[in-house]
Amino acid sequence: MTTIIYAAIAIAFLIMVIGFLRKPLPDDPDETSAGYAPKIGSGRWLDLSEPIFNPSDARWLEDELAFPKLASDLRLERKRLAIRWLQALQASFDELVRTPEIVPSEAPGSTVDHGWQMLGLTLRFKFLVSYALFMVKVFGPYHRLIPSFSWVPLPQKEDPNLRRAAMAGSRGSN
Amino acid sequence: MYLVYGFDRSAYRSAYWFYFLISILVEFAVLVEISDHIFQSLPAIRHLGRALTVAISATLALTYILPVILWEQSRRLALLDFALRASVTKVIVLAALFIAARHYGLQIGKSVAGLMLGFSIYLGLNIANLAANKAFHPALYGGIYWIMTPTAYSLCLLVWTVALWDYVPAPSRSTISPVAGEGSESLALELTRFNNQLSKLIDK
Repeated sequence: MTTIIYAAIAIAFLIMVIGFLRKPLPDDPDETSAGYAPKIGSGRWLDLSEPIFNPSDARWLEDELAFPKLASDLRLERKRLAIRWLQALQASFDELVRTPEIVPSEAPGSTVDHGWQMLGLTLRFKFLVSYALFMVKVFGPYHRLIPSFSWVPLPQKEDPNLRRAAMAGSRGSN
Repeated sequence: MYLVYGFDRSAYRSAYWFYFLISILVEFAVLVEISDHIFQSLPAIRHLGRALTVAISATLALTYILPVILWEQSRRLALLDFALRASVTKVIVLAALFIAARHYGLQIGKSVAGLMLGFSIYLGLNIANLAANKAFHPALYGGIYWIMTPTAYSLCLLVWTVALWDYVPAPSRSTISPVAGEGSESLALELTRFNNQLSKLIDK
């Protein structure tokens, strides 16, 4: 049985290799994944995260104007926008990563190799964006992306003024 | 090895194990060489191939290969299993390199593609051969194993010879670099800017 499994692994691997080497690549890899990704360079679209991830208008609709249905629709729309914004960010980053090498004669003065540092930044970004996408898809755009540890019973500093007031209140009630 | 076997049969055993250990090291060296060349044209992920190779090899060496040497009862089976699992590890590394190259839309040059194809054929045949040798009795499969190992090696060398006969440089992408003329420092700055933007969002 194990022999058959290993033989299947070997055959599947060879088929995969031949498939990879034969299949031509699309001209623009971003065309299929996220065609709405803005071109990198200007960077102004990055500021869109502020209104997308800001919950104040949904809260205003729900709490002050008492439109819970409208607030719910707005939240759903914002969630969709947040996912698209994160995907666009990822696509733009991938486009940046695909920047081809500049030959040394074209780039005078760039003698330092930042290879490992750049790889670290690339992997860090990939991890963070995947995590953020997961959190937004599951909990929505207004949820804290880093989990809150408020449920952990940590010893808190007591405010001496509050303590004094509480003691005075307890004496008064007696 | 055939010559050693023919001329000095008593030295064959020690020569075989020496060859066996050297070949495993050389195979990993080939893997490192392939991984270094795949992402060579993209400075941001130039070391991704080596990082993947080292990380996957180290993880599987500790969790998948080492236990078989420590806990297998029969020495023959332990050595066969060791070679088999080392080959499976190399296949996993190659598959990860293929997937990463595909993800970044890299066009693999003829030379590197040939290196990968030849090595993949060698590893695929090796896995099937070692698994069969482990499953069947040596009296039944020993003769076939004796022929199959050099056959896999010769096939690999044949593909490498064809692929590397004429040097063909790796095709470059037609993308215009947004940081052209400013070197890798600008690219590192751009990567940092993206990371900072995302960190700001996550820390909020």
